[in-house]
Amino acid sequence: MTELRYRVVKGADTTTPPFAIGGKALIEATGISHRFGSKEILTDIGFQIHPGEKVVLLGCNGSGKSTLLKILDGLIIPSAGRYTYDGETITPASLKEAELHRRFRGEVALLFQNPDAMLFNPTVFDEIAFGPRQLGLADVEGRVRHWAEQVGVAAHLQRPPFSLSGGEKQKVCLAALLALEPKVLLLDEPTAALDPRSTGWLVDFLSGLGVTILITTHNLSLAPELGSRALVLGEDHRLIYDGEIQGLLGDMRLLAAANLVHTHRHRHGGVEHRHSHVHDWQ
Amino acid sequence: MNRDRLLLYLYLAGILAATLVHDPVWLGAGLVLVLLLAGRDAWRLLRRALLAILAFNTLISLGYALMAWWQELSPWLTLARLNLRVLLLTSLTFLFIARANLFRALDFSKGLTYVLGLAYSQALTFRRAHEDFRLALASRSLRRPRLMDRYRASAAAASWFLEKSLHAATQSAQALRSRGFFHD
Repeated sequence: MTELRYRVVKGADTTTPPFAIGGKALIEATGISHRFGSKEILTDIGFQIHPGEKVVLLGCNGSGKSTLLKILDGLIIPSAGRYTYDGETITPASLKEAELHRRFRGEVALLFQNPDAMLFNPTVFDEIAFGPRQLGLADVEGRVRHWAEQVGVAAHLQRPPFSLSGGEKQKVCLAALLALEPKVLLLDEPTAALDPRSTGWLVDFLSGLGVTILITTHNLSLAPELGSRALVLGEDHRLIYDGEIQGLLGDMRLLAAANLVHTHRHRHGGVEHRHSHVHDWQ
Repeated sequence: MNRDRLLLYLYLAGILAATLVHDPVWLGAGLVLVLLLAGRDAWRLLRRALLAILAFNTLISLGYALMAWWQELSPWLTLARLNLRVLLLTSLTFLFIARANLFRALDFSKGLTYVLGLAYSQALTFRRAHEDFRLALASRSLRRPRLMDRYRASAAAASWFLEKSLHAATQSAQALRSRGFFHD
């Protein structure tokens, strides 16, 4: 039997933090700003995430969500500010230290928006086994089969990942990350390539994972299903909201400022009018 | 005439001159002139140009040197000419791209502006995707990736780029046809 640090708990609601929030933060961003050439990508971002929290990062296209996730995964070094993971400051120099690099890469996993960017092994099995083999974990095969079954790709284990559909690729990427049993999952628009059924599956799956999650989306209607706390990036690339998702959903002015809702003319029972509202889109 | 179009004409004249001149001394002088024009960016420009031509020119130069050795000829003049010319053309092109606004330079032709727009948007998309492929491998690597993993990642990226290029080219052609750009 494969020894796993955590398992999916069917029916559990972990969108509500299972741990009392407080104490030592797992992730802490302080005054993070980032520029690309003359272009501002992020401005003075600061927040903390505690173990077990499920946080939804919202913002319109181009607000800097993906860049922020890459900074939190230690892939991009911000132009200014400080990022600490579990008390360790993450910088290019600190990540050169083999022990921290290995621990950080094993504990913090990023699911890229484009799953193709993550897939390069000859079979789905090898793709999921890539991380555990690097760590030299015991019973790699059992671990691969377990996570392949959990995400529903067990039937494809001997197929090349490139031949799968977008949703299946996304699931393989997720299994590849989960096979390492990370403490933190950073998910960049994970529902973007999924059909409605798979999106429903993902919501259930994530709510059953007892792990810290930061997930980006611009699908406002999906946000309360994915977490209980929201971070919102404005069009000026600043953090304009950090709090309960329910509180955010009632604040139309803030949502409009973040370009997360829109206004257009429409009809209700023969009466034509305009107001801000949300549309569901993938 | 706007400044960018003037730069375009100067660039084209430079390209023509670099292909007509055969004396390595003059080609070297041209390269020095380009570096002087680059000013503070000279070393960065030279480094980029050298990296861009390194693999191709090394292969060609080695092939030519072997052939010259086989035929008992001196390869030096030809090798100097070949490498200096390619380096000059590459540096000149990088300098022109850095200094000129291509859209303004080509704004005399609607067709050329369309083609440039398509190429530019593809280049930006591919640059972002290339960065994602590189970062994804870094993100998933708990230790330095093995050579085999690097090969596989590069092959996967190359295959993805090829597939996307074909798809994007088909889409672009269909979009242009739909907007009446082609009259076939």
